[in-house]
This record gives sequence, structure tokens and C-alpha cells, in this order.
Amino acid sequence: MSHDSIHLVNVSKRFRLGASNEYGRLTEAIATGVRRWFYPSPKTTDLATRDSFSQRIEDGWFWALQDIEFSVPAGDIVGIVGRNGAGKSTLLKILSRIVTPTQGRVGVRGRVGSLLEVGTGFHPELTGRENVFLNGAILGMPRYEIKRRFDEIVAFAEVESFLDTPVKRYSSGMAVRLAFAVAAHLEPDVLIIDEVLSVGDQAFQRKCMGKASQLGDQGRTILIVSHNLAAVANLCRRAILLQDGKLVADGSPDKIIDRYLSDMRSGDGQRQWPDDDTAPASKEARLLAVSVYGNGQTEPVGEVDIDEDIVVAIEYRVLTEDATLCVQIQIKDETGAYVFWSANAPSMNHAPDPWYGRPYPVGTYRSECRIPANFLNDTRYFISVSIGSEVGNASLKQEAALSFLVHDTGAMRQEYTGSWIGPVIRPRLDWRTTKNA
Amino acid sequence: MESSTDPIPPMKYYGPTDAFGFGQIAEIWQNRELLYSFFLRDLLIRYRQVLVGVMWVLLQPLMGMFIFMGLFFVLGTKAGSSGIAYAPIVLTGMLCWQLVSSSFRDATGSLVNYRHVVTKIYFPRMLLPLASLLCAVFDLAIGSLLLLPICWITGTAIYWSTIWLAVPIMLWLVLFCAGCIAWLSALNAHYRDVGYALPFILQLGMFVSPVVYDTQRVATLLTERWLWLYEANPIATCIGLLRWALLGTTAPSVPGMVAAALATIAICISGLAWFQHADQQLADRI
Repeated sequence: MSHDSIHLVNVSKRFRLGASNEYGRLTEAIATGVRRWFYPSPKTTDLATRDSFSQRIEDGWFWALQDIEFSVPAGDIVGIVGRNGAGKSTLLKILSRIVTPTQGRVGVRGRVGSLLEVGTGFHPELTGRENVFLNGAILGMPRYEIKRRFDEIVAFAEVESFLDTPVKRYSSGMAVRLAFAVAAHLEPDVLIIDEVLSVGDQAFQRKCMGKASQLGDQGRTILIVSHNLAAVANLCRRAILLQDGKLVADGSPDKIIDRYLSDMRSGDGQRQWPDDDTAPASKEARLLAVSVYGNGQTEPVGEVDIDEDIVVAIEYRVLTEDATLCVQIQIKDETGAYVFWSANAPSMNHAPDPWYGRPYPVGTYRSECRIPANFLNDTRYFISVSIGSEVGNASLKQEAALSFLVHDTGAMRQEYTGSWIGPVIRPRLDWRTTKNA
Repeated sequence: MESSTDPIPPMKYYGPTDAFGFGQIAEIWQNRELLYSFFLRDLLIRYRQVLVGVMWVLLQPLMGMFIFMGLFFVLGTKAGSSGIAYAPIVLTGMLCWQLVSSSFRDATGSLVNYRHVVTKIYFPRMLLPLASLLCAVFDLAIGSLLLLPICWITGTAIYWSTIWLAVPIMLWLVLFCAGCIAWLSALNAHYRDVGYALPFILQLGMFVSPVVYDTQRVATLLTERWLWLYEANPIATCIGLLRWALLGTTAPSVPGMVAAALATIAICISGLAWFQHADQQLADRI
């Protein structure tokens, strides 16, 4: 297996930014891409990031990928890591021929199967059986091959009894299983997978991983984008780190993941949007800054002790006179697990927020949310901020505005010193044992 | 199970290109199985949860026929001047028109309606509008079975010696439709306006083509000098030719047929070129 299976020569891709004749979907996608661009980054490198960002923009064009060049030998399993907006998905789309690069050439040897979203090509009105044939055909499998592997596919997906039911009556789990089964049995020379391993239940995920590494053993080339770093580390023999649309590192998965994580970790507890044009905004408000403070501290910090309260401060400017606003935060952990959501509404609050439900005169405001000590686990958390006209409304939204790290100080480790990895929170709760009479 | 002794497939390179090639057609041929799958899917979906099912294929041209028979009866005018019963005249027109209108309508939306797949998986995009066209051809094939009983009921003689010519004539019309839908589907992916304008274009097209009337009516109106311009519309020429082959009406003029043939070639080649160009930005813009 010495021949290359994928070869990229100087591949670049640019998109048009907010041109008037563009359709909603694309402009939205790019707008979110741009907003996500300011993904947690420290204040000092914030300028640097912005510089590289402005390098990526020229005359209303946005470079999603710049001069990507690499080759993959047949049989390799390569993971692609990078922040949101680094160009991972664009790269996969170019490799699977969905998107034509603006410059450069892409060479692929043999049949390409791409799983950029599980279940694409499924039609809700058709039965499971009909969809297997249609989806297989879309993925490039000849009809006789689908027939030959039909039973195997159905057995893998565990949907035998629903074969003649329209897919619209399937549970989402069943549809996902069937779709992965079709794709995994199509035996492409190159398989491109984007985030699909994160669907389905644990058992099925393990099954998918097993299938993927089995395909790799058969000498098939696999490219994977995943935020599940554990999956990348276990499955891949090589990893590529994308940053700002450029390939910045290429090597063993462990090394690349370490570098990626250390890039992510260098947060100093505050993120500011000094530029009005690029700050997340809605009609009513514009985000100025999001910061994290330790208990009673006045300087923002990127790392908080597990046994102290954490204060999340959101600063924003109200743009519309007498707007009514509700500030909300979402906390997720590093694996993307959703930890909690909270708003400054009275019933979600220990004491009512004096500004809640009141018309806000134009001006700048600061809303603080206090997360109790001994509640989060010792891991990294990401804060998403949204500001809307009422609870649940998010006309202004900033995904992963800031990240912070909770330090284990040993405050909850007097009796147990083992691993606490796994649970997303580690609350100190009330326990009491009584002896029944 | 594949061993390393298998021949290594060649590395295929692709990138931005503006060179026009017939590679698209080769690719469509390589993916004919997928085309068949799309066609089957369209066909199956169309008649899911429909009570009378495939009967609609017969009912639509029949209803069209009765509507226009009724209309001309009420107006008291004659739509034809060839001395042949009106029913088979309007039915042949209706069948051809249904091919045009339903393929145009379904194909125009085909890429946009399937954008969740178009933006996720690669396959020759042309297959989607072509599958819509195949469905319309299927309808035409079924619907043409109506001609025999209608001719028998109205006592119209069928020209058995030239009936086989109906197949190449319809292939011509199908080819013209293919060129048009290449334009329409890719245009609609870039500018949704096409979808809004289409109903009016189709309405206009129905009246500038001899669907519900006889070409003879136009011939007397336009005189020989301008008739070719009217017949440069391949739909008009194909309907005229079909009636000539089946029912023995006057055939379209030779300059008209030449103009129509040139128009068909122009539409097909420009359609292919435009589709190839539009295809490269399709996933970005759709």
C-alpha cells in the first residue's frame, strides 16, 4: 500500500460574504461562521486572531481554506481537528466533490463514500427497503451489490421488522442506524465521515467505531472530522490540525490533539468585542464582553477553583430605546454535553433581577450570573450567551463565547481520591442517613 | 476480501474549470443506475397516499381534453379546420403539452427540493432534473394509450403506416425538454425567481403552441412568410408532426422544421454549458 489515495494540491476555497443576491441559507451559514470565528480566544491573541480573520476577508470574499496541501496513503485513517470555522467541513466537502475548490486540484483514487450527515438521501415517504436501495445508489453502490449485501445492512442496522414501513414512521435512532449501515457496507475506497459517530446510543457508536476501524484494516482510506477527540485518538493513525483555514500541523493523533487542546485552553477569562461591526448583535442589543470571575475577584480569570462561586458577567449595549430583554447562558462541557441553561427570569432566580421585564433605556448594561461553588466538575466548560426579548428567545446568540477551566482543589476529595472523569457536574449535595426503627 | 493485487484505480483530479466538455453526458451514462433509482423514487412518491393512483396519468389529459372540448362548444367556434374530429386533435396536443409542462415544473424544483442531499453527497446533479423528465415520459407513454379508444369513439382514422414515426418525434420533444430543464433547474437553484415565473411562462407557452387548436388556424393567420417563425418553437413543430404522423393533418413546413431543429440544438448545447458552469457553485449557492 504505497500509493496515495488522496492528493490535494494548493486547494483554496472562498465564499462570498453577504452579497445581495445570495440566498438565506448561505448568508446565514457564513454569518454564523463569522460569529463563531471569535471562538474562545485570549485577549492578547484576540488581536492576532482578528488579524488573521481580516486576512481571510478580502473585498467581500471569505477564504474558508487557503493553500491546503497534503496526501494520504491508501489505508490510512486520518482525523481532522480544529475549531469551529477552521474549515474542516469545507475541506471534507471539497474532498467529496460537493463543493468545487476556487483554486487548486483535488485528486482521489477510487470510489468515494461520504457521510457528511447521516440519512441524507432518505426519503420519508419511502419504506426502509426502498430507501436502502435509493441511498445505496446515491452513495454510488451498484444495484446488484446492494442486493447482495442487503441482509447484512439490515442486520447491522437492527431494523428487520420495519423494512416495509415508511421511514417517516421510524424513530430518529432507527433512521440513523439504517443510514450508517448503508454507508458502512458500501465499501468505498475512500470514506469521508463528518461527526456522524456522535449520533445514536453508546452501543451503536461503539459498533460504528468498530466498523470504521475494520474498514481501515481492509485498506480503505478514511477521513474523519469529529469533536469527539477520544474517537479521533482511538481510531486514527494520523491527524491534521486546521486553523484559520490553513493546515498548521500534521502528525500522530496524540501530538495533534495535545496541541489543539492547549490552543483551546489558553483563555484568560474574558472575551471582548471591540469592533461594533463584527460583534454579535440583534436589533435590540449588541454584545460587548463576556467574562468569568472567581468569588469576590475584580479581574477576570480563565481558571476557577472548584470550591468557589463562579460569576459570569455579560456586558452589552442596548440599542433600541425601551427594549425588554432577557439574558440567558448555556453551559456545555468539552465533549459538547449540555450541562445547563439559565436565564435572569424571576422563577429561575434566587432573588428577582430588578431589570427583568422592565424597559431598558439605551445604554450599556452588565448582567451577572452566579454559579455556586462545588457544583461543576474539574473540567473545561464553554459558555454560550443569548439575549432575546423574552425567556427562550435568542435573537442575539453567541455560541461558545468563552471557556473556563474548573480546578480541582481537593475540597471534595477528602475521602475519595480516585478518578472523577465522566460526570459533567460534581455537585455537593445534602445527604442524611437515618436508621429505621 | 479485496487483496492488494487488485488493480489500483487511477487518481482522478478535479478542480475549477470552465472548459466545456461532453464529460457530463458520459458521467450521466455511468450513473444510469442512479438515474433509474431517482426515477423510481419520483414515481413511487408521486402515487403514495393517492387514492386512484396511476389512474391520474390517464385522467389528467382526459380532463384537459374535455375542458377544451366544452370550452370550444360553448364558444361555438371551431378550433380545428382540418376536418378531423376535435377530440383526437386536442388529446395529442394535451399529451405533448403534459410532457413539457410536467417535466418543466418538476425539474425546475428538483435541485432545490433535494438540496439537503445536493449539499451533502456528490453525484451528477443533472440526474435530478432528468429523473423528473423520465417521469413525464412515463406519463406520456401511459397517456398515449388513450389515443386508440378516443379515435375509435370519434371515428377518426389512424394512419398506421406512419404511426411508428411518433417515437422519433417524441424523442425530439424529449430532447428539447432536456435542454430546457438543464437551464431551468440550475437557474432556479441560483435565482428562485424562476420558480415564480414558470407558471406564467407555461401558460403563455400553451397558447403559443398548437395544444388546443390546429396549426392550420395559425397558418392562415400568419401566411407562409412568417409561419416558420411560429414553427421554430420545437413544441409547435413536434405537435404538428405528431398529428401529421397519427391523424394525417398537414405537416409543418420544411423551413419551420429546420428552424425548430436548430433551436433544439442551441437549447441543448447552451443548457449543458450553463448547467456545467452553474454546477460548480451549486452547493455554495443553492
